[in-house]
Amino acid sequence: MAQRGTFYAGLATAAVFIVLEIAAMSMLKRASALQDIWINRFSHNVMAWTWGGVSNIRNYFSLKQQNDVLAGRNYELFKELQRYKEMEKTVIAISRLDSLGFRSRFNYIPAEVTAMGTNSRHNYIILNKGREDGVAPGSAIITPTGVVGIIYSVDKHYSYGLSLLNDKVSVSARIGREGLVAPLSWDGRRTDQAVLHDIPMHLSVAEGDTVWTSGVSSVYPADIPIGTTMGSRLIDGAVNIVDVKLFVDFAALRYVIIAENPDRAILEEMTR
Amino acid sequence: MKRGHFILVYIILMVAQIIVNNYFGLSRYLLISVLPALILLLPRNMSTILAMLVAFATGFAVDFFSTGMLGLTSVALVPVALGRRLLVSSVFGDEPADRDEQITIARFGLPKVVLALLLCCATFFLVFVWVDSAGTVPFWTAALRWLLSVLVSTPVGLLVSRILRPA
Repeated sequence: MAQRGTFYAGLATAAVFIVLEIAAMSMLKRASALQDIWINRFSHNVMAWTWGGVSNIRNYFSLKQQNDVLAGRNYELFKELQRYKEMEKTVIAISRLDSLGFRSRFNYIPAEVTAMGTNSRHNYIILNKGREDGVAPGSAIITPTGVVGIIYSVDKHYSYGLSLLNDKVSVSARIGREGLVAPLSWDGRRTDQAVLHDIPMHLSVAEGDTVWTSGVSSVYPADIPIGTTMGSRLIDGAVNIVDVKLFVDFAALRYVIIAENPDRAILEEMTR
Repeated sequence: MKRGHFILVYIILMVAQIIVNNYFGLSRYLLISVLPALILLLPRNMSTILAMLVAFATGFAVDFFSTGMLGLTSVALVPVALGRRLLVSSVFGDEPADRDEQITIARFGLPKVVLALLLCCATFFLVFVWVDSAGTVPFWTAALRWLLSVLVSTPVGLLVSRILRPA
């Protein structure tokens, strides 16, 4: 009780002191122009210091939020970097084969997307390269960042392809560089996802693994990145399917590469 | 009777200060003030708030009747009143307050009274010189002014204590 009384007395003393000092300062401000300027400057400095302190405290408590934002950005940049690294590996591998004089299994033809559909279960893509440019039906449509589809028919100057966002298109894919090979197709749910089918139940697939083209088919070149694995789920109590987040952004797609395998007819004939 | 005598002498010394301010400007480096001593020698049982009000009124009166700037003396004198109790208990101990003893040289000895006066004057002139110079005077000039004023006003304050508290 006595302590509380002392506290209030101290508080009252401090309040009276401040009031008297402010009163004296106010009189001084009116009495002298020099002191007026000096007191104004001094009070501005005090206010600036106080506001700066308040701002620092506020910034300190918002650091967690800013950290979360930065961590999110960091993650996005990391993913972007990984994607470019993988692209670089692919480009280097292709250019190395070229420089060593190896004849690639595929002929690559750059093309531009003329039209494309993404709104149905049977989406198509039309490219500005056709028969005269060396495009043949059954050629793969790829980008350095993923698989786009397959050429279905060709005109003199244009070609019509089935997009990967078409449930009739299936790509032979491999999880990781040396991992499991399984067919990949679109399940029609999202334009940025596809699924890997027929994964045996006893094999577990880690989330975040990169999915590549396997190269075992005659259509798609090997080691073209397709996407990354997401969750897996059991189908019919027999096999797993794995969701794959696609690298290709179909909504923003403009330039593609047509990979045409000149030996495809021979290979298909042999497998019949 | 004692209280009436104290108030009378207090007012006379305040008038003396006004006269000094108005007619005895010795140097721009030297200020003479009996006001810190007057505040120190206020009755021991006076509360800090009352002492601050007395200090403010004293400063106001001195400034009003002097050619100085209104508010300057009050600004410097109120902090002296604020720290008075702490200073007195630190220098003289807590006993005088309990027994309502006043500060006199005869009771506490010359060194303690000089020390208390020195601290009061130092506080007063620190604020006074700082506010008066308003950042326009070089630091060492202000420091010299403060030092000379403290060194001169402390003995003057000692004289005031003999007049105000003769016993």
